[in-house]
Amino acid sequence: MPAITLPDVIRQQWLFAPRFARVNGWEMHYVDEGAGDPVVLLHGNPTWGFLYRDFVAPLTEAGHRVIIPDMIGFGLSEKPMREHYHSLDGHIANLTALLRGLELHRITLVCHDWGGPTGLGFAFSNPGRVRALVLMSTWGWPLPPAEFHIRMFPWRMMHAPLLGPYLLGRHNALARRGVYLSVVDRARFAARAMAAYESVLPDPASRLLTWVWPRWIPMNDAARALDRFAWLERELRACTLPALLVWGREDDVFDPAIFATRFKHLLPQAEGPHLVTGRHFLQEDSGPEIAARIVDFLRRVP
Amino acid sequence: MTGVGVIAPPSLDGMRLGFVLAEDRLGHYGEFRDFFVRTFDLDRIGLSRPGFLRAPSGVTYALVFIGRSGDAFPSGVEIHAVVPALEPLEEAAVDRDLWAILRWIVGGVGGAWTVEALEATGQLFRIPAAVEGLA
Repeated sequence: MPAITLPDVIRQQWLFAPRFARVNGWEMHYVDEGAGDPVVLLHGNPTWGFLYRDFVAPLTEAGHRVIIPDMIGFGLSEKPMREHYHSLDGHIANLTALLRGLELHRITLVCHDWGGPTGLGFAFSNPGRVRALVLMSTWGWPLPPAEFHIRMFPWRMMHAPLLGPYLLGRHNALARRGVYLSVVDRARFAARAMAAYESVLPDPASRLLTWVWPRWIPMNDAARALDRFAWLERELRACTLPALLVWGREDDVFDPAIFATRFKHLLPQAEGPHLVTGRHFLQEDSGPEIAARIVDFLRRVP
Repeated sequence: MTGVGVIAPPSLDGMRLGFVLAEDRLGHYGEFRDFFVRTFDLDRIGLSRPGFLRAPSGVTYALVFIGRSGDAFPSGVEIHAVVPALEPLEEAAVDRDLWAILRWIVGGVGGAWTVEALEATGQLFRIPAAVEGLA
């Protein structure tokens, strides 16, 4: 696995000891800080643990152990080179291998983007290990897709056959411009964070998952993961775990009026949705505020 | 006018195939696979030979189609530049050619897939060849 050199501006913000675990045949990078009941922070496409840099101190200072895995294919984890490696079930199995290997119980799962389907998949297949859920800009049911994901420009165009490998592979369009366009304070993001997401995907092959994940979003009844998402929705409907919903007020990928509302319908016990400043990558604009909300929420969770 | 066209198989004497782009899942949107089947007569030709294109730079590109058990053919495609065997690729020219080839593909797929939407996507993401197209 080639070594990745993080730019200085990123390393200064990411001082956590790197840890690696062998999961499901691959090397997974993760951060493990603090002590107490574990909070597992899950990112999605095309980010990595850096997205949660502002969460570590408040959570550890509040008495939690913080685990931040980089999904296989992203961040500092190993990056498979073939499209057929990746599946939703496979990524749930990767997470399961890590969290079982660490012998974690009483886990709070914080789920964003594809961290939602993977985290919920772990939660519902390991119910004895999970204490609470925090859900942000994600989904957990088969259909209908978000309006954003139906549009030809730019979503379908950017991951279509050959267009995905060119735009997102050769030109790193999702990590380079896509995240930038999906935050509120773009100048701050460009100065402080954009290099974190670009630098860990240094060559076209390393960017494979950036166009493969979009192809796993169910768009119709023939979708590959339809049954898994249908199972997630059934499990959500039956779920009694304490839950917290946090959404970006400006989220134009998973519109809070539709997606947060649907989670609230499925999980009526959930607190929120609490709206914060943020588009899809709300952690970039409101990291400390969200972390404080999680700390406050967990104080009240048995 | 894309400057891209299908050509007869060229002589490969003294040439090599320089890999430039691959797609593992051509059928993700089935209309893309249908376009290649139609354009290169793949139901008849199958895996017997690549398809060949001439790109705006004058370079020839080979389209190597991939079969995968259980999937409709072709399941994937690789694009290779046909270049003098010992000469390096000119990266910027290849990138402009690929953009032209993608415009040609999208135009050929047709329907909801429009060159205008592709151009807008390329400009949104500041793809050099798309931005140059504005100049």
